[in-house]
Parts: sequence; structure tokens; C-alpha cells
Amino acid sequence: MAPSEIVRRAVAAGMDGIALTDHQSARNTPAVAECARRAGLKCLYGMEVQTAEEVHTLALFDTVELALEMTDWVYAAMPKRVNDPETFGDQPVVTWDDDIVEMEWRILAMGCRRTIPETATKVHELGGLYIAAHVDRANHSILGALGAIPEPMVESEAQPGGGKFFDAVELSRTADEAAWLPKVGDYAVTRSSDAHNIDDVARVWTEADGEFSVAGLKAIFAAKATRLSPRLTSF
Amino acid sequence: MTFEELKERVGGTTVVDNPEATINSAYTSDLLSDVMGHCGDESVLVTIQNHLNAIAVCTLAGIEAIVLCHDRQPPDDMVEAARREGVGIMTTPLSQFAVSVKLADLTPSAR
Repeated sequence: MAPSEIVRRAVAAGMDGIALTDHQSARNTPAVAECARRAGLKCLYGMEVQTAEEVHTLALFDTVELALEMTDWVYAAMPKRVNDPETFGDQPVVTWDDDIVEMEWRILAMGCRRTIPETATKVHELGGLYIAAHVDRANHSILGALGAIPEPMVESEAQPGGGKFFDAVELSRTADEAAWLPKVGDYAVTRSSDAHNIDDVARVWTEADGEFSVAGLKAIFAAKATRLSPRLTSF
Repeated sequence: MTFEELKERVGGTTVVDNPEATINSAYTSDLLSDVMGHCGDESVLVTIQNHLNAIAVCTLAGIEAIVLCHDRQPPDDMVEAARREGVGIMTTPLSQFAVSVKLADLTPSAR
């Protein structure tokens, strides 16, 4: 999935903003940032952190620099094993105009040793948003792995926003909103495409009135003022 | 132990056969990072992890078969990868503990 094509599809579908969240890495955020800038599309930069609990969580930031700082912190706790492209696929790092700069050598398909509380603290220290990914799925979701959404025992400076690890929870493109809302408690809900191939970009989305930035989304999440696109019933 | 013998032991249903499998040890875990760190080769993995990454970990660790507990069904991409990589998959209604008990005479797999 070339960043230029992701941005082109998002613009064509009428999106106001997108977030790039590759698994365990934000190394392609510089490329998507440049594509988004050229297209006049708003963008948040981040990654899907697979925590020690093997739960997928989204870390989103206003800048590429913060996303890359988060990546360094996750990389420091990744298994030091070399990726086998035949097993896990290629992991290219690309430029905005689709040149491949290098192949990431680490196995990005694996979890890191950072726990959810540690990761939440780091994301919030860096001024980011922390979202529990695809909570409706059995595998790699917080409800699938832990059975509930954990919350800090003690509120701390690093955990603002009512002492929660997560700022919001994400539903996948097929999740029935009415069925899942009662199961996620007091959290704002988002829906995003989680696109793993180009045809899935912008097939579902989240609407809200406000600014597409970390601060803007924090306010929207605090007010639980999101509106989800219809789910997909076939794909 | 062969794949067929394993199947009889745990009351399994074959999803992907592996007649070539040599199973000398067993490991029970639902945390794939733990499996990758500790499970040895010529082994069977007892788990509920019914997704593609489980096959990738089997390939890396040399695991020859997976027993999916509680009748968890593998998705198509997992089945396809298992066929390609030569990893057997069976399902069983039993729990991870119950399957482990049935395999108690096998060596605990370790690396």
C-alpha cells in the first residue's frame, strides 16, 4: 500500500483526515505526511502497538517526530529477531513518491514487551491519543485477550482524562454498534477501516464536529460525540 | 507420536492433515511471544490462538501441529498458511488443560 495511493483514495472518498498506524512502526509516517501535505489532507501519525498482553492498541500523534519517538520506544522492547519475508511478508520503508528506502529487519508482526499501562503512560507523556483497537474481534483485542477494559488503580499525572488508559475504543468495520456499545462502558467509540489493502481505505469512517488533531479528538472523545459510519455486512 | 495418534488422544477433528509430523513434545500457551520464546521443535502446540500468526510462529519454532481447543475454528488464511508451511491443525471441544492432561506422558517442550 503506497502512501500516495492511500492519500489519493482517502481524498477521493471525501475523508477530511486519516491516521497511518502500521503494526509496531511509524517509519512510513514521513512519507504519508508529505503525501497528505501535498493533497491538503489532514493526517495523524502513529502506530498499532501490540503490547505484551498481545493486545492491539493505537497510538496517535500530531507530528511525525512524536510517532517516531514512540517507534524507538517500542523497538527497544521488540524481540531481536530478523523478519522472514516469506513467512510474514515484506516490510518496506518508503518515500512519499513510492521509492523503497530499505526493508525493516525486525519482525514487526510480533508483540513488544511493553504492557498496556506502560504504553498508555508513554503515549500520554508524548501528548498522544491511546485507543483500544477493534475491540469487537476475538483475537488481539482488549476484550478478547483480557475480557474487560482495564483501568488504572490510581490516577496519576501521566493518566489524565479520568484515570483511564484509553481515550477511546475502536470498532472494526463489521461490528454492530448497537450490540457493542453496552460492552465498552464509558468510552467514546470510533470506527475505522483498519485497511490492510488499498481497496479497504475509507470503506468505513467516524464523523464528529471538531478539529482533526489530538487535542480536538480528545475533546470529542471526552464528550463522546462521535458518529460511526454504517458497518459493512459483506466484504 | 503421529498426527493420527495425537488426534485419537485428544478427540480431535482434522482441519489440515500432517502425516509427516513427528511429535515428541508438547507446549500449552495462548501467548504467542511465550510460544516463540520457549516452545521447541518436533512439538504440538495446544492453544486457542486461531489466527494466521500462530502458523508463522510454528514455522519459526519448528512446531508440527496445533490443537485448537474449545472447538475454535481456524479462519481460511490460517488454513491456507498451514497447508503451505506443513503445519497440521486439529480442533477439539476439550479445554487446553484437558488436552494437556491427555498428553501428560509427552515431554514438556522447551528451548
